[in-house]
Amino acid sequence: MRSSARSRYPFRPRARLERAVSAWARSRQGEDHAPLTLRSRRIYILPTRAGVVAVVLLFIMFLAGLNYQNSLALLLCFLLAGFALVSMYECHATLTGLTISSARVESAFAQGHGELQLGFYNAGDSTRRGLRLRVTAIEPKSFEIAPQSACLLSLRYEALARGRQRLDRLHLSSDAPLGLFRAWTWLHLPLEALIYPAPLRLRPLPPAAGQPQRSERARRLGGEEEFAWLRRFREGDPLRRAAWKAYARGGPLMVAHYDAPAGAQRTLSLQSLRDLPLERALSQLADWVLECERHGESYALELPGQSLPPGHGLAQRRHCLEALALYEA
Amino acid sequence: MSAALIGPEAQAAEPAAAPVTAQRWALAGLLGAVLLNVHHIAAWCLPVALVGAAWRIWGARRTARLPGRAVRIVVVVILTLAVLVSFRTLNGLDAGASLLVAMMALKLMESQRTRDWMIVLGGALFLLLAACLASQTLWLLPLYAGELWLLCAGLYAVGARHSQASATLILRAAARNLLLALPLALLLFLFFPRLTGSLWALPQDDEAVTGLGEQMSPGSISELIDSDEPAMRVRFDGPLPPREQRYWRGPVLHRFDGFSWSRVHADLGAPPPLEFTGSGYRYSVTLEPNAHGVLIGLDLPRGLLSEMPRVARSFDDLLLAGEPMRSAVSYRLDSFPQHRSVGALPAPLRELDLSLPAARNPRTRELAHTLRLASRDDRAYVQAVLGYLQDNGFEYTRTPPKLGRNSIDDLLFKTHEGFCGHYASAFATLMRAGGLPAHVVTGYLGGSWNRFGGYLLVKQSNAHAWTEVWLDGLGWLRVDPTAVLDTNQLRGDLDDTEDIAGVAGARSGIARWLLATGQAWQAVNAWWQDEFVSFNSSKQFGLLNRLGLKDGDYETLVALLALGGAVWLALLAWRGRGLEAGKPRDALGRSWRRLERSLRRRASARAPHEGPVAYGERIAGERPELAATLRTLTREYAQLRYGRRCSLARQQRFDRAVRLFRARVRR
Repeated sequence: MRSSARSRYPFRPRARLERAVSAWARSRQGEDHAPLTLRSRRIYILPTRAGVVAVVLLFIMFLAGLNYQNSLALLLCFLLAGFALVSMYECHATLTGLTISSARVESAFAQGHGELQLGFYNAGDSTRRGLRLRVTAIEPKSFEIAPQSACLLSLRYEALARGRQRLDRLHLSSDAPLGLFRAWTWLHLPLEALIYPAPLRLRPLPPAAGQPQRSERARRLGGEEEFAWLRRFREGDPLRRAAWKAYARGGPLMVAHYDAPAGAQRTLSLQSLRDLPLERALSQLADWVLECERHGESYALELPGQSLPPGHGLAQRRHCLEALALYEA
Repeated sequence: MSAALIGPEAQAAEPAAAPVTAQRWALAGLLGAVLLNVHHIAAWCLPVALVGAAWRIWGARRTARLPGRAVRIVVVVILTLAVLVSFRTLNGLDAGASLLVAMMALKLMESQRTRDWMIVLGGALFLLLAACLASQTLWLLPLYAGELWLLCAGLYAVGARHSQASATLILRAAARNLLLALPLALLLFLFFPRLTGSLWALPQDDEAVTGLGEQMSPGSISELIDSDEPAMRVRFDGPLPPREQRYWRGPVLHRFDGFSWSRVHADLGAPPPLEFTGSGYRYSVTLEPNAHGVLIGLDLPRGLLSEMPRVARSFDDLLLAGEPMRSAVSYRLDSFPQHRSVGALPAPLRELDLSLPAARNPRTRELAHTLRLASRDDRAYVQAVLGYLQDNGFEYTRTPPKLGRNSIDDLLFKTHEGFCGHYASAFATLMRAGGLPAHVVTGYLGGSWNRFGGYLLVKQSNAHAWTEVWLDGLGWLRVDPTAVLDTNQLRGDLDDTEDIAGVAGARSGIARWLLATGQAWQAVNAWWQDEFVSFNSSKQFGLLNRLGLKDGDYETLVALLALGGAVWLALLAWRGRGLEAGKPRDALGRSWRRLERSLRRRASARAPHEGPVAYGERIAGERPELAATLRTLTREYAQLRYGRRCSLARQQRFDRAVRLFRARVRR
């Protein structure tokens, strides 16, 4: 997995340097576990580009004061230098003592985006401003936390390839108050996302076992199952199954419920896709799983070496996708 | 963290556009900086800045389109040309500041992002620097400080990173950080090694500096007499010299063209050796900026006591700094009113001090011949000329009539009215015509005592001119021809408020108070000039001496800086120590611990498993006389700590109640 991650990001010296320093930081501070309060030992700080410019400008001011032998100009320059240094302390303090109270990562499909949730708690008595959180290559999230309050932050991450993806390097930084310095820390939380194969539609669904004659209407609706009854609309129901006519008559919104014919279950097996390359086959299986879930059909998954019994619902979906994610030939 | 705590505190980021409030801070800061520079920049700069600001305010209200790139480039070129036309250069403080104002006004038109506004604030800080370079007058200091505060607040507002902090909060944060920075700034100010010269040549200001100059023509001194500006301040180690000895010797003028006298800068060798007798005076002088570059001292300084590089003694016994003094300088001298040149006058100098323009002032030459023939020796000739001036109805006036081409003839035979410069000029001419080497000395006479500052203030209005005549065997002799005229008038003019105690006796209380206030202000100003404005390398080492670090060098300074800086940084770090544990400064907890401590001493300690209310109940049982208060207090604490609402005011009430309770049990 790691090698594929590296191949997606070509050689970038800055990123490589960051990785190296981060690895050093990791070897220094070990793995982190939420809840975690940031100590100053692990907070690094450097001037930003604006900070470097400010240093140059201060130096010019200093030279001017020195050359004109002007005491007031020198004092002004020294005051500003002190001001910038105080702001450095303030910048450092925006991270010191911040608590990361929780960290959770959600699975995602390869090449898609997953979600990462982090809880923060600011026990201090001033607002922590200018915070930025960055994970992998997705755009950073800026936020601030009011004094003595918590916040939950969800952050998108880029899912790379099928399998396990570690998101153990989070970059939390702050450039408050003036933007002259940036303090940052790396969070090495044991966050591991399971990356499902990206769904890919190559073949139609395999026929259900023991399939009876399908009604014309069922075929027209695109489903593979028999119309059973109408039930109340629940959130998440596909809209194309809504009984719009009944709704228009003033009744509640109903959806047509189809029952998979008894015993009508599909077996999704890798064997049937032998002719496809492995990754594509797994992607096709993932697509079928989603498709079956969409129709509320029950399905079984057969992979060489393991088979999941038929079923449907969120648990079945998760089990199947996990099996696909972790499948090794 | 429980779900209840997860609130909307996390605010979404916005792009780098600066909020409108931040823009207002930056605008106000820039305008303030422009106003502080208004006295030395081109006149059109202020309107340009105002137009830029107005544009910006208008543009912020409705989303006006900002001018395009081409327009901006054209405006840049026009404004640069305008500066060039106004100053004939882009170099120098005034032109530079004008250009900066113009560019910042222009920058306003394209400022949108945070970065742009940071640049505007940076430009404003540079303008503040330019204002400091242009003037270090004491009364401007509060304005400078206010402007710095405003600009730092602007930095906070622009840089505050997507938050809507209130103005009070921003101002307070800026003030707090400036105050925190002040110790470091003072440390650097005192101990950062200073240069003794300039790094690069400074562009010459064509602005005239009031004071003595290279030349003296009839009337040039009377311009100075009207000036109330200070020329120098003198602090004596011992008693003051008597009034008639307070001749402050400045530029010596040798060359005479019949109308005006001028200095000679050629190197005519070493002055004749001097013999100093009698008692001397040791004193330190703060000399205001001047064009002549002479370290003025009491007639006649033996030498420089303080370290000053590149100071040399000229052939006419002046201590020359080598260049015009751009800022006030301080130095220490010791002077001996009684001195005598030993040895002969070097030939080139004799020649110089005898030369007179041919075909000018014929009647004066005639007079000189007549008087010379009538005199036994050189000394008698000097007396004869002084007697001539005294007896022929010459008058001292501050508004002398204009003189013609033969200025001395006009003065001696037509107008009979003149000023010190006129008489010095006439006297020196008569001496030269009579064969005695002579030159005109310009400087100051007198000075007024400031009792608050303990110094003698010499103003430009004390400017004076006299002569020195060479008498073989006696050396240079100071002769003040003006002094033989109506001396009372001279005194009345030149010694103003010599001693307010005496003068003020006759005046009303308010006048006395005003005088005293004026003097006190002058003294504060003098302190500012002496100790702050003219703080330099030698003062720095003087400070080291006073701190007990004898023969300190640059390494000592650097070591002191490093030490002080480390202490400052440590103090800053110590300020933030509570942050480390992630604990708030828990005022409520402190109050509670205070209560517990006092109960532990008088009753019993709280068991680890006991909650506050249970503990309160138990102690109430042990000490029934405290029961009522104690129950209220412990309940209140539980409410505050674990209850839903916990206002700051209620916490403070609780704290006060705990303090009262403690005071009660103590009794």
